[in-house]
Amino acid sequence: MTVTVAAVLAADGINIAKNVGFGIIAFGMVFAALCVVSTRNIVHAALWLVVVLGGVAAQYILAGAEFVAVSQVLVYIGAVMVLFLFGIMLTRAKIGSDEGMFNDGWALGIPVAALLFGLLGWVIIDYAGDDVIANQTPTPTVMLSDAYLGPFLIPFLALTFVLLAAAIGAIVIARKD
Amino acid sequence: MNVVALLAADPLLDGELRWTPLLIVVLKVLVIFVLGLVGTMFMVWFERKVVAGMQNRIGPNKAGPFGILQTLADGTKLFFKEIMNPARSDPWVFRLAPFLAFVPAFLVWSVIPLGGDFTEGRDGTVTWFGQVTRVQLADPPVGILLVLAMSSIAVYGIMLAGWASGSKYPLLGSVRASAQMISYEAALGLSLAAVLLSAGTLSTAGIVAGQNSLSNWNLVATGFVPFFVFLVAVTAELNRPPFDLVEAEQELVGGFHTEYSGIPFALFYLAEFMNTITMSAIVVTLFLGGPQPITIGETTLSIGFIPGALEGTLWFVLKLLAFLYAFVWFRATLPRLRYDQLMDLGWKFMIPISLGWFLLLAAIRTGDANQWNPVVVVVSSLVLLGLGYLLFVAALRVSARNREREGAMF
Amino acid sequence: MSQYLPIVVLMVLAITFGVLSFAAAKLLAPSRPSTAKSAPYECGIVPTREPPQRFPVSFYIVAMLFIMFDIEIVFLYPYAVDRGALGAYGFWAIFGFSVVFFLTFVYEVARGGLDWGPIVRDRDLTADAAMVSPERTATSTVRRVGTEGRVPENAA
Repeated sequence: MTVTVAAVLAADGINIAKNVGFGIIAFGMVFAALCVVSTRNIVHAALWLVVVLGGVAAQYILAGAEFVAVSQVLVYIGAVMVLFLFGIMLTRAKIGSDEGMFNDGWALGIPVAALLFGLLGWVIIDYAGDDVIANQTPTPTVMLSDAYLGPFLIPFLALTFVLLAAAIGAIVIARKD
Repeated sequence: MNVVALLAADPLLDGELRWTPLLIVVLKVLVIFVLGLVGTMFMVWFERKVVAGMQNRIGPNKAGPFGILQTLADGTKLFFKEIMNPARSDPWVFRLAPFLAFVPAFLVWSVIPLGGDFTEGRDGTVTWFGQVTRVQLADPPVGILLVLAMSSIAVYGIMLAGWASGSKYPLLGSVRASAQMISYEAALGLSLAAVLLSAGTLSTAGIVAGQNSLSNWNLVATGFVPFFVFLVAVTAELNRPPFDLVEAEQELVGGFHTEYSGIPFALFYLAEFMNTITMSAIVVTLFLGGPQPITIGETTLSIGFIPGALEGTLWFVLKLLAFLYAFVWFRATLPRLRYDQLMDLGWKFMIPISLGWFLLLAAIRTGDANQWNPVVVVVSSLVLLGLGYLLFVAALRVSARNREREGAMF
Repeated sequence: MSQYLPIVVLMVLAITFGVLSFAAAKLLAPSRPSTAKSAPYECGIVPTREPPQRFPVSFYIVAMLFIMFDIEIVFLYPYAVDRGALGAYGFWAIFGFSVVFFLTFVYEVARGGLDWGPIVRDRDLTADAAMVSPERTATSTVRRVGTEGRVPENAA
């Protein structure tokens, strides 16, 4: 039975090993994401978030987007989460449980999360349907530069102004020691 | 350039996986693992011995010939030492931190070309058990960026070790360290961009393949500046003297690992010295042609009596030793920087220089390809860089004046 | 993806090595915890203060700037790899990007975002005339320290 299922999937161009890998990583990510919102220690929450972001990077590798995966690690894990941790250390980073991590309205978040999940799921299924990622070969890095220095040049240059705004914001807020 | 891009994969792992390639992979993993541990042992001994020589001492000389087994003895001892749990620590993160430090250190080994057959213009592949492969564990298309990714994960090891100890010196050390490491990672990344400009590929094997003669070594091809920026940034990234503010003994006891003992401490120590080796290897790979023999013009310096496949490894080790010695030399010679000097060197000197140099190289190469007048290109680039420099100096003036207005003496 | 297989194998091996080392140390090493041993290390002095709770905001600014540089670097790499094919057009695009970026950096430096260290102020000595008066003696000026916990509060 299993052999025939595998044969059918392979005939459809579905790589079984990749799908198993996807399942394992996705399960880990969901678990880590639940830990982010349920742990009572704010630094632990940040670390679980790192695990989720690492899982995203692993999924990118499975999808053949290697440069995006490395960028994910460099920018999100290497920079954004370090900023988060600095932010936590700037304000409060007591070791041990922190009371007051849960506010009274936390249950309200559940329907909102369910709604968002439904919306995202619907968008993805509507977009992709039964499509299978056709080429199993990784995307070369040069395709990225062709894209952002070509059709997406305007958003790319607009990005510099976003960075400028971020820098000004950081300095204006932080300068008052 | 396309030829280089095609090289960006280990031929061993193309196509379906069969038993022989799988066996070779397992063998390679084991060899790398043992090599990592033995190399680290050697490095610790080498550092102690060389520093001792420079300070007119003898250094380790009891365990084994020339004391070479000293590290093994020390490591064995640490297995018998109590693992302490500080009362105010966060137990989970306290245990996790050593892993976050030494696992990335191991993983960097996987993309370093450790050897290969480059004699008579061969491309560096070797044949083992009838399989064509490279003398490196893996050659993913984004190879060199994995090194950057690993060093950004290693920041967590140090940061969390300090935070989880629940003690003031480790915390101070780790916050300093993480700010230092991310600052120099920016300089590291920008000088790497200059190398990629001349290499045209992210794969480490591809970067090595492009440097087939002395004038093609990226050291020369990128005009020396990125090399020096990279070397300094690597020293800071490794937290080695003169940038070892992380564990500045005189002020912070031991820095981030003050509260660690026994095996967790050994793992941090292992990571530190292994990183020294791997980062030296990365410098060799990026700038000095890795395992390529030295070729000047048409003549290749060849070591005659050694088979081609081993010669690459020999060249690699020779180049590596030069940098390992240099790192030890820095340690024995240079006094530690003050923290504001450290940050100023990183942000106000190395980062602007490497960004400017990258743009200059890009302009020259683009000009070459489009038959722009080279004199015009160079002169206008220099004028623009000069303008940038003046602007930057003006900015420094403004910030210094603002500080003075707030009452600072300097 | 098979290019990443050896890396995963090496990672598993390294983690196993770490776990086995911990396990071996558990078996071989003594475990005799005591209050003094597990107290935060302060060079032998009994710790009386909590570790610092807050850090200077400069660290936060550095991390913020690093995000900007990381994004810049991530965009530079694909250009650097593909420079030959992108030609003059790609160069001008990257040049424009870098110029705006550099101006941002200059702004940050000018506003003192990368200044380190406390501001050392000139101290006016006339306000401290008492500090240099001849009335000062060892008994009037030296504050006894290190008596915390030894001398009862009311005895002092």
